[in-house]
Amino acid sequence: MLQPNQAAIDANNLLHVCLLQPDIANRKYGPALATSLPAVELVGDSLSKLAYDIRPTAAWDNGRPVTARDVEFTLKLMFCPGLPNEVARNRYRFIRAVLTDLKAPQHFTLVCRGQALEYVEASGDFFILPEAAFDPRGQLRRFSLVDLQKRATTAPPDSALQSLAQRYQAAEAGHPGQVPGCGPYQLVKWEKDRYLTFRRKPQWWADRLQPVPIALQARPKQLDYVIIPDAATATLALRRGDIDVYPQIPAREFARLRASPAAAALNFYSTTSYDVVMAGFNTRRAHLNDALTRQALSRFFDAAGLLKATQLGDGQRTVGVISPIEKENYNDSLALIPFDPAGATALLRQAGWQRGPAPGTGWTRKSANGDLQQLRLAMRYRAEGSLFSTVALQFQAAAAGLDIPVTLQPTESGAFSSSLKAGDFDVYVGVRKGNPFMFNFTPVFHSLGIDAGNTTGFSSPASDQLIEAIAAADSKTHRSQLLRRFQALLQQEAPIVPLFFLPNRIVASRQLTNLHVGSLKPGFMATTIERVPKPSAAP
Amino acid sequence: MSRLVFWRLARAGLAIWTLASVVFLLSHRDAGAAVQEALAEVSDVQTDRTATTSAERLAAQAAVRERLGLNMPLFYISQGSNQQEPTWQWNGLHNQYHQWATGLLHGDLGTSYRNGQPVASRLGAALSFTLPLTGTAAVLAILAALALAQRLAASPWWQRPVRTLLVTVHALPLFVVALVLLLAFANPDAFAWFPAYGLDQPADVGSGTWSQIATYLMHMALPVSALTITAIPELTLQLDAALTQELHADYATTARAKGLDEGAVIRHHALRNALLPTLTQIAELLPALVAGAVVVEVVFALPGMGRLLAEAAAARDYPVLVGGILLTGAARLLALLLADLFYFWADPRIRWQS
Repeated sequence: MLQPNQAAIDANNLLHVCLLQPDIANRKYGPALATSLPAVELVGDSLSKLAYDIRPTAAWDNGRPVTARDVEFTLKLMFCPGLPNEVARNRYRFIRAVLTDLKAPQHFTLVCRGQALEYVEASGDFFILPEAAFDPRGQLRRFSLVDLQKRATTAPPDSALQSLAQRYQAAEAGHPGQVPGCGPYQLVKWEKDRYLTFRRKPQWWADRLQPVPIALQARPKQLDYVIIPDAATATLALRRGDIDVYPQIPAREFARLRASPAAAALNFYSTTSYDVVMAGFNTRRAHLNDALTRQALSRFFDAAGLLKATQLGDGQRTVGVISPIEKENYNDSLALIPFDPAGATALLRQAGWQRGPAPGTGWTRKSANGDLQQLRLAMRYRAEGSLFSTVALQFQAAAAGLDIPVTLQPTESGAFSSSLKAGDFDVYVGVRKGNPFMFNFTPVFHSLGIDAGNTTGFSSPASDQLIEAIAAADSKTHRSQLLRRFQALLQQEAPIVPLFFLPNRIVASRQLTNLHVGSLKPGFMATTIERVPKPSAAP
Repeated sequence: MSRLVFWRLARAGLAIWTLASVVFLLSHRDAGAAVQEALAEVSDVQTDRTATTSAERLAAQAAVRERLGLNMPLFYISQGSNQQEPTWQWNGLHNQYHQWATGLLHGDLGTSYRNGQPVASRLGAALSFTLPLTGTAAVLAILAALALAQRLAASPWWQRPVRTLLVTVHALPLFVVALVLLLAFANPDAFAWFPAYGLDQPADVGSGTWSQIATYLMHMALPVSALTITAIPELTLQLDAALTQELHADYATTARAKGLDEGAVIRHHALRNALLPTLTQIAELLPALVAGAVVVEVVFALPGMGRLLAEAAAARDYPVLVGGILLTGAARLLALLLADLFYFWADPRIRWQS
């Protein structure tokens, strides 16, 4: 329940099964533990009911079936005090109750606050844990989900909740493999900072399904995840045959390997991810609070050149925060923002800026209250890697050509997050992670998100209404129309400058087959991989 | 002598405590970053399924603070919130520093913010990987430097090229040496004599003891070589210079006049006097033994103190960071104490003066 990173999510996907799991090939959620996507019933204008059925064959390792009680227990555990479940609390707070049926133990209905298309996916993407293993006496059953959600931090401690939290933490702290799951693999070895070994269960419930859905396929008998921090070392390990797959390989290693003689033994894959590199303006600053100035500064970014320089041509330019591979939602009628310093000059003049007569005097304008504003910028970005520094240096050089001084502020990762939250920047460069499933922009662009996730501080009544309408859209078609309008609005107001979507690069041994790659993290499916059978010796 | 050692130990203990307290207080003043780290990062927020209200965000932050023990006052006293006239208020014993100090006195370094594991066990596990690596490299470097410096001091024909080579290697950063070794001796295009990473492979688990030892030694060869190669030049050049100076002293001339060969003059007369600055250098190695070698650990994908502390600093895992600094600081102060004791042993003039 701790804040997961991608590696932890990948490992958990082998040990546990969610009700629904994304299919990396078609970028859609499909049923995993559930028999199908939930049946949605809207109740009034503020409640949704999502009815699920768990697969009858789904069972824990001891043969007990996975039931609705386990789902209810898992959701309650997310709100159990004393556990590191703060992220899960916010993420699943919209589920207010689990309605179970004694006569049909594998059928249940989730009662959700509000109505949103995303609830179909969001209500089913958490791992189910066994109630019998953690709470054999069913002590959590005397609390309703809402009771736990509303439980004040100052409430007197409850011995049942305390002992449950202790049991869970003891299992987690000792060895994550001790937390029983209904997934296809068991964690048999975990050498911290070195490797993890997963072994397939000899008898797994999904083997009895015909056909086995791709989300439930588990073909390798053993999977070893090796932790190699250095790219050069990982590349060597791949070339030596020590590892079979190298995901998230850096651009230069990818290109070098592809051009080397070793390429004959390897397969190379590159897909567009959902992570967009972008710049953001601090719209709270007086000299950046008008759209014309931001539009002008947007034209200093040479996105095409940056994509070529940093990603060696992979990845994809974009007009907005929706990925171009999402054809139905991407606004392809908008033009890409050009690298156009001359156009920027004209826009700056429209915004009221005047260039000084002598070189080095920069640009100034008078604000409404008569104060003289100077156009100078402090640009903040994460110090690690070369991606952000390349973007920053390119912007600085382009702005310097028009006599706009830009101070670069490379910042350590933790301090960078704090600085963004505190609004201590004029322009920042960063990566925003996305996915094709969730389109609630309230935390990042709504006025409610200011001082939290809305780092640029941008909001307007029109954008707030549009964001709320997207979140409440009742059909995918309507939502697509709204998303297209939202992209146009963001390009017009320019609080952010989306530059390009990063690629997912994977290199794999040619001895592997059935490797499904895609745009969703981690970019490939480990559970479908098989080895090419060795040709049998001639008789 | 024992009284001197006692007082030096007491002073070292006080200094270590002060160092750890300062690091604790400075790092925990930045507790907001740790809370932020435990929740979603600001710049990388995904478009989420539900919008959290301001109250829900604050509640989540409060819950993280409570879980991490950051909801208490930081120290016994704190400044009041009155902006007009700064006031100081007494917080009693219910404060973060008191909890930490009490735990430390009982041998409890706290628990990691990231995974809830005890800091002592994390440091212990990391040290169990680091000490064999850095310890072996230190011993090999010292032995090699002793042997090489004595031969260099005897002015053989290869003195100049070897000194040039040592100065060149001394100028190379550790990561360059490590990568050169990796690309030369673990590379299928050159010599794939050694493994490229780790301490063993998952496939090695279950093999026999001798096989495991052989695997371990093969995996350690390149990292230990990288550390040894980068440590040898400094030790050798210093000892060589000191020996050269001592060999020009009158007592060395007298020894030669007695008919001793150059080797015997170096070993029996000059070496002990020339060792004094080298003892300080060797003592300096001790904290490095404990702190690990983050560069080598990253290049060769080894677990250890270097990576643990670097990752703890990046993730704002303050209990692990403070524990690591406490350990490294203690090693440094003990190293200084050891250096002083070695000086007493090596140089009778210091004993007489004290």
